[in-house]
Amino acid sequence: MLRRIGTTHVVSPLSSFFSSVASARRLQMTAVSASQAREHADAPEAVEMNFLQAINSALDLALSRDEKTVVFGEDVAFGGVFRCTLNLSKKYGSQRVFDSPLSEQGLVGFAIGMASAGWKPIAEVQFADYIFPAFDQIVNEAAKMRFRSGGHFHCGGLVIRSPSSAVGHGGLYHSQSVEGFFNHCAGIKIVMPSTPSDAKGLLLQCVEEEDPCIFFEPKRLYRSMVEPVDPGYYTIPLGKGKILCEGRDVTIVTYGAQVGVAMKAAERAAQEGISVELIDLRSLKPWDREMVTQSVRKTGRVIVTHEAPKTSGIGSEIVSCITQDCFLSLEAPPMRVCCLDTPHPLNERLYLPNELKVCEAIKYITGY
Amino acid sequence: MLRRIGVTHVVSPLSSFFSSVASARRLQMTAVSASQAREHADAPGAVEMNFLQAINSALDLALSKDEKTVVFGEDVAFGGVFRCTLNLSKKYGSQRVFDSPLSEQGLVGFAIGMASAGWKPIAEVQFADYIFPAFDQIVNEAAKMRFRSGGHFHCGGLVIRSPSSAVGHGGLYHSQSVEGFFNHCAGIKIVMPSTPSDAKGLLLQCVEEEDPCIFFEPKRLYRSMVEPVDPGYYTIPLGKGKILCEGRDVTIVTYGAQVGVAMKAAERAAQEGISVELIDLRSLKPWDREMVTQSVRKTGRVIVTHEAPKTSGIGSEIVSCITQDCFLSLEAPPMRVCCLDTPHPLNEQLYLPNELKVYEAIKFITGY
Repeated sequence: MLRRIGTTHVVSPLSSFFSSVASARRLQMTAVSASQAREHADAPEAVEMNFLQAINSALDLALSRDEKTVVFGEDVAFGGVFRCTLNLSKKYGSQRVFDSPLSEQGLVGFAIGMASAGWKPIAEVQFADYIFPAFDQIVNEAAKMRFRSGGHFHCGGLVIRSPSSAVGHGGLYHSQSVEGFFNHCAGIKIVMPSTPSDAKGLLLQCVEEEDPCIFFEPKRLYRSMVEPVDPGYYTIPLGKGKILCEGRDVTIVTYGAQVGVAMKAAERAAQEGISVELIDLRSLKPWDREMVTQSVRKTGRVIVTHEAPKTSGIGSEIVSCITQDCFLSLEAPPMRVCCLDTPHPLNERLYLPNELKVCEAIKYITGY
Repeated sequence: MLRRIGVTHVVSPLSSFFSSVASARRLQMTAVSASQAREHADAPGAVEMNFLQAINSALDLALSKDEKTVVFGEDVAFGGVFRCTLNLSKKYGSQRVFDSPLSEQGLVGFAIGMASAGWKPIAEVQFADYIFPAFDQIVNEAAKMRFRSGGHFHCGGLVIRSPSSAVGHGGLYHSQSVEGFFNHCAGIKIVMPSTPSDAKGLLLQCVEEEDPCIFFEPKRLYRSMVEPVDPGYYTIPLGKGKILCEGRDVTIVTYGAQVGVAMKAAERAAQEGISVELIDLRSLKPWDREMVTQSVRKTGRVIVTHEAPKTSGIGSEIVSCITQDCFLSLEAPPMRVCCLDTPHPLNEQLYLPNELKVYEAIKFITGY
């Protein structure tokens, strides 16, 4: 089975793990330089967690908090292929943390059924690339259930979490960022965090939301991104972005693993005297349009960058809204720095919107 | 079966049919006023056809031209629920025009298999609303097959045709315009004509394309839109838009059944001295970016209007590109006039981007 081979490949070899740890330390240092303190990261009892541990902590708290909460998906019982569900089956029992058959449309349909009966299913789709078999269940069923029943039924308790985005060698089917497809669908919420503490707070918020939510986890951050995380229960509201560093000359809007790339580019630009304001959207649907608008009215320039392909990606919606909201403030055409409009190749070095591509965009737009 | 009831409802009552014929006459007269003659409409042997007859003619010619061409889908053998495949099974035999089981993912997967073996399958998905079960087959398989095999295999002969868009009373699942979902996927082409003669030429081009194509047919035009159509074989290249009327003050970009709405709005605006340039994209992926850019550089203002919901619809991609290409020419923020960001309601009078909404946008943008 191709997917199993891909799975094995993703979590090894160790050499890439070690190099990603080194990268994580560097990334963490740059994160600390942000002028705005991260929510909950300064809690007195903060514990060092990587991304997957933060997810595990969120699931643990969700399960302990409400007995109607269940976690299921392919291979989640033993701890999941990325270890996000480690020990949960032992702790809460096999009736609350269990494996599903290998069928994404069945998995999501099953979750919709549970949610409509009042449960809070947290369904895992093993890779975002494999969420498409469930596309009909999500778009035609989950998203429209409350609307079409006039409020008589709903599946608001549903959360679908899924590893997403590039990982270095995932090829076509273990690297996709698919949030752009779902953004055109009314009735669902979409979240993609970029740090462990945001991941935990946002996931717990999704569990509490009264609308079906899709929670994407940038998988290359699972082990590489480490930071202090509040071990207790907390939520972060959806629809609120975060300003990671303030700037005067250009606004960069991004989310997910691309936040780290944009931050490096912003630092490089700072060395040349360009002041970048960096916004992590975190929540993509609904998104923080007000924060972005205020920022762009101040800076007059904007670059939207994401790992998904450019055409009809979330960036196109953001740019269209910015042009409408900030027409009189824009000093240069809004730019999009995204993956190319092709499938995700095996060799992704020139495909991803890397630090240099973002830097080049910063130079171009400030020199317009 | 809910779908059958919906089907029956769509093709009746006769009173709505008669009123739509009257509407078609009016629409046809306005179409004739276009300054640019329609391709092939003035051919010496032109025959009056409505939209469904033009599709039928195209399928007939495709089947006669190449014995590797087959037509299949749910209920196509008896002539199809919209009569697009009428008489084809009798004429070409049940091995070339046949029914499929009621499974969209099976239907499209089957078509991919045939296309990869050198056939030219024209698969029908009965309503665009039911293409989502096949989303994985289209996005992860059809679109990526040539790319991921390094050109060793492809399914370029594949055409998926599907009725699309609102029809007056289709509710949530017989009214959707889903092209915006597919626009984010590299490797497929997307077409949505607005007239019988364009429908025929574009469909025949899709059959000849060496890439998988999705061909959407605005179903309320099936019987209501009548015009002279060349009964012989002809194609219209993909990626080329059409200027329906030239103007100086504002450009309207649209496609599908919305073309008729925009044309009425343009006429109303003309009575107040506003000169509208109306572009029918026809081909959405690839789209005629050059034509739109040239037009907007001339007029300085643009309204993109489509029946699909606004957020992340095709309009957002078009507006983002226009802002990038025409930043120095724009006199007002590009506007989008689309369906609201909700599922398609049963009562769609206030939901659709009707003539008055488009007209209001014209007034706003020219008065900016």
